[in-house]
Amino acid sequence: MTKTVLTVDDSRTMRDMLMLALKDAGYNVVQAVDGVHGLEVLAEERPDIVITDINMPRMDGFGFIEGMRADPAYSGVPVLVLTTESDAAKKQRARDAGATGWIVKPFDPVRLVDAVRRVAA
Amino acid sequence: MTEDLNPVITLPAILDIRAAEPLKSELMQRRGHAVTLDASGVERLGGLCLQVLLSAIKTWKADGQALIFLNVSQALTEQWTGFGASPDEFVAQDAA
Amino acid sequence: MSDDPFEAIKATFFQECEELLGDLETNLIALESGDTDIETINACFRAVHSVKGGAGAFGLDDLVRFAHVFETLMDELRSGRKAVDEDVVQSLLRASDVLNDHVTAARGAGPAVDPDRSQALIAELETLTHGAPVSGTDADAAGDMDDDFGFTPVALSLDDFGAGEAMPLMDLPALDLPPLDLPSLDAPVVTGGEQTGWKIIFRPHPRLYANANETALLLRELGRLGPISVEMDDSGLPSLEALEPLDSHLVWTIHLDAPVAELDVRDVFDFVETDCDLSIMSVMAEGAGASVVSDSLPDLDDGLPSLDTGAAAEFDIAALVAMAQADTASRLGGGGETAPVAETPKSTAAPAPAAPPVAANNATAAAPAAASAATAPVTIRVELDRVDRLINAVGELVIQQAMLAQRVYESGLARSSDISLGLEDLELLTREIQDSVMAIRAQPVKSVFQRMPRLVREVAAMTGKKVKLVTAGEDTEVDKTVVERLSEPITHMLRNAIDHGLESPEEREAAGKPVEGTVKLAALHRSGRIVIEISDDGKGINRQRVRSIAEERGLVTPDQILSDDEVDNLIFLPGFSTAQEVTDVSGRGVGMDVVRRSIQSLGGRISISSNPGKGSIFTMSLPLTLAVLDGMVVGAADQTLVAPLAAIVESLTPKAEDIHLVGGVDPVLMFRDEFVPLVDVGQTMEFRNEPTELKGGVVMIVETEGGQRAGLLVDAIHGQRQVVIKSLETNYRHVEGVAAATILGDGRVALILDIDVLVNTGRRRTTSLAELKMAS
Repeated sequence: MTKTVLTVDDSRTMRDMLMLALKDAGYNVVQAVDGVHGLEVLAEERPDIVITDINMPRMDGFGFIEGMRADPAYSGVPVLVLTTESDAAKKQRARDAGATGWIVKPFDPVRLVDAVRRVAA
Repeated sequence: MTEDLNPVITLPAILDIRAAEPLKSELMQRRGHAVTLDASGVERLGGLCLQVLLSAIKTWKADGQALIFLNVSQALTEQWTGFGASPDEFVAQDAA
Repeated sequence: MSDDPFEAIKATFFQECEELLGDLETNLIALESGDTDIETINACFRAVHSVKGGAGAFGLDDLVRFAHVFETLMDELRSGRKAVDEDVVQSLLRASDVLNDHVTAARGAGPAVDPDRSQALIAELETLTHGAPVSGTDADAAGDMDDDFGFTPVALSLDDFGAGEAMPLMDLPALDLPPLDLPSLDAPVVTGGEQTGWKIIFRPHPRLYANANETALLLRELGRLGPISVEMDDSGLPSLEALEPLDSHLVWTIHLDAPVAELDVRDVFDFVETDCDLSIMSVMAEGAGASVVSDSLPDLDDGLPSLDTGAAAEFDIAALVAMAQADTASRLGGGGETAPVAETPKSTAAPAPAAPPVAANNATAAAPAAASAATAPVTIRVELDRVDRLINAVGELVIQQAMLAQRVYESGLARSSDISLGLEDLELLTREIQDSVMAIRAQPVKSVFQRMPRLVREVAAMTGKKVKLVTAGEDTEVDKTVVERLSEPITHMLRNAIDHGLESPEEREAAGKPVEGTVKLAALHRSGRIVIEISDDGKGINRQRVRSIAEERGLVTPDQILSDDEVDNLIFLPGFSTAQEVTDVSGRGVGMDVVRRSIQSLGGRISISSNPGKGSIFTMSLPLTLAVLDGMVVGAADQTLVAPLAAIVESLTPKAEDIHLVGGVDPVLMFRDEFVPLVDVGQTMEFRNEPTELKGGVVMIVETEGGQRAGLLVDAIHGQRQVVIKSLETNYRHVEGVAAATILGDGRVALILDIDVLVNTGRRRTTSLAELKMAS
C-alpha cells in the first residue's frame, strides 16, 4: 500500500525537492507550508510519515511536533526533522518535542529516502 | 459482566503504540477466563504490544487459564520470532 | 515548463530567492526604522536561512558561504546575544545587497561577485558576530556550513560514505576530499585479531516508543547489515495488571555476524541513542570474546559538523536527477503528476471553519498564529503560459462576440429582439470574464518597489548625498507584464532624482533644508491607469538652463513661447541632457528621452512638474494591462482607427466659426474659451495628402500625458468599444503615431492611435509648414 508522507516546509524549493525524491521512491506526498498548516493537513490527510522543517513562520517545527504528539491519534506516526542545523541542542530539542529522527539538509535523496524507510513500518 | 464477554478477541491489524493500552484492557477484562486471540489479521507488531501479549501469556499461565492464538498470520509469526520471542511457546499455545 | 525536474526546481529556487530577498529587504528596513520586534528579526533570519538551504542543495558554494556567515549573525541577533543597533543594521543592509548579488550571479543573471567585496563583508559580519573575523579567504569552502562547533567532522563523514556504499542505489561520483586523519575509533577493531561481528545489547526507554521509533524497525535495520540472531530477555516483564503498556521492560541482545564498520551499527541507533541503553561490542574470531567498544554514552556525532551538509551538496543533485530520470519509465504517462511546477497545494485551502481536532487540541499553541492565517489569501501557483493561453482565448472570444453582434446587426434584426437581447447579455458576460481573467495576471508593484531601497543606497553612496526613500502604494496592482517593465524607468528616474534633483548635503544646509533629502516613490490607481510618482525635495528644474540648452540643440526656437511645464518637459526630448558631464550615476548615455520612449511603448506617458527650490515630481501613467483597451472607433481617409478612450476629453462637430488658421496655415479650434491645435489625422498619418474637409469632419478633443490638449480631426466616429490589443511590431513594423492594432467585429484590422506621438507629429508638421511658409 502506498504510504503518504506529509512534508512541512516554508521553502517551496525544499518542498519541491522532497516531493520529487519521495514520489520517485513511491510515496504519496502531501504538503504544508508551516506548523499551523501542518497540523491542519495532518488531520485531513492522516499521513503515515511526517517530515518537517524547523525554522518556519507562524509555528516552527518544534511547536508542530509538540502539537502533533499532544494528540494520541498521531502517536506512532514518525516525524523526521529536516534541518541544516545538526548541532546537539537542536537534535535534543527535536527529540524532546517528540521527533523520531532527522534528515540533515541539504539532503541527499538517497539518505532522505533511507531515513524515511528506516522509520516507516 | 465478564460472563457476557466474547471469549474471542480479534487482534487489530496494526499492533503499534496506539493499540497497546486498548489491548491490555481488553485482556484484563477477561482475566481469569480462557481467551482466544484471533490473530489472522495482524500485519504489524510493535514492541509495546509484544510486551502486553508476552505478559498476558505469563499471567494466564500463572492463572492456569488457556490463552490461545488462533489462525496466526504469517506476518505475526515472522515479527514475533524477529523479536527473539519464543516461537515454541507461541506455537504451543496455538496447538493447545 | 521544463522537462527536467531538477531545472524546474532550480527555477523555483531562484524565484523563491527573489521573494525571500524582497522579504529580507522589507524587514531590514523595518529594523532600520526601529522595529526590532523579534518576529522581524526572525523573518530576516528565515529568509537568509532558506536561501542558504536551497543554495546548499544546488552546490552554490559562494552563496552558501556568504549566507552562512550572514545567518550566523542573524542567529546571534534573534537569540538576543547581540543587540540590534544602527551599525549592525547598516551592515545587514549591505550584506543583503551582497547576498542579492550572489544570488544574481548564481542564476547566471549577473557577473560573479567581487571576491574582495564579498570577503570584506564576511569579515564585517564575523566581527559583529564574534568580535573578530574568523574565516580566511582560503578554501574552508562549503564544508563550513555547520561549523558553529569547531571541528573533527571525520566520524560522520566516514559514516556517510559507508552508508552510501552499503546502499548502491546509484553511482555517486567519488568525492575528491583531502585524506582523512582517522581517529582512534578503528583501534579496538584492528587490535586483538580478526573481528567477525558485533554483539549489541539494547534496552529501549519509553520515549523511544513515544517518539514513534520502534524496536522492530531497529532490528530490521540491523538485519540489513548482515545475519543476526536476536535474544529477548523478558525477565523484567511484570504481570499484565502491573504492566504499564507504554513503559519498556524488554532487553534485547543481538548478534550481528558481519564485520561491518562500527559506525554502520551505530548509525542504526542514531535516532534513538539517547532513548535507550546501548552497548556495542566487537566480536573476535576464535571465541576471543567480545570487547566493549563503546557504550551508549558518548554522543560521537552530536555537535559535530556533518560533512554531508556541504561536501555532499554536489552529488545530492546528481543523485536527485539520476533518481528522477531512472524512474521516468515507471511514470506511465503521468507527466503532470510529479511536475513540481504544477504543484497545487490543496492543503493550503484547508478551510478554517472545519476546525480539525488537532488544531483544537493544540489551540494554545496555534491561536495567535491562526489569526493571521485567517487573513492570508488562499493561493495556487499556475504557470504563466496557461494564464496567457486563457487570456488569448478570451481575447478571441471578445472578437468573436463582436463579430457575431455585427452580423446580427447587419441582418437587420430589431435591437429589441430576443437574439439581440441575448447578445447584450453575452457581451456583458464576456466583459466580466475578460476582467476576471485580466485580474489573474495582476500583481502588486511591491516586487519592483522592494528593489529600490538598495538602488537608492548605492546612488546615495556614489553621489555623496544623504537620501531617505519613502514608498507608498506598494500594494497597487497592475498586470504582470507592466510590473516587469516598470523597474527600468523607475530605476532611471530615481537615479535622476538623486543625482540631478537633490542637492549635496552642504547645499541643502545652506538652503536651510534638512541635510537628508527625501525621494518619494508612490503608486496609485487613477482613472483606469496606474500612476507612478517619483518626487524629490531637491532644487527643482533650472528652467533657464533647460531652455538655453534646448535652444542650443535646436530643440526649440528662441521665439517660441513656452509655459513652465512645457519647459520642464523639454528634458524628455531626444538628445537633451542637462548633465554637463555624463555622471557615473545617471549618465550611462541614456537620457530621459529613452525613458519616455520605453514608457510610451507600454502605452504609457510621463511628465514632470517642478517647483524651483522645492523639488520635482515625475509622473508616469501606464495602462493597467497591455492586453485590452477601451477605445473609440473612428474613420479617417477610409481607414478604421481606434483612439484610446482614456485620452479623449470630448468629441464634437466643429462649427466653421470656431476654426481659425493661425498665421494663415495652422488650424486651431476654439474649445471652451481656449484655442487648441487641430491635428488632421488622415493627413498626419499620410493616408492622404489633401487636408480633411473641415466641415464634414468630427473632432475629438484629446489630452496628452503632459496635459496638452489638441483636436484630432477625423471623418467619422463609429462608436465606443473594448478592443483586444495585438502588437503591431510583432506582426508588422513600428509605425509612427500607431501604438498597436486590433481586430474589429467585422474582421478588419484597425490601428490603435498613439495620441501623444500623433499630437506632437501633427504639431511638428504644422510648425514646419509654418516655417516653410515663412521661409518662402
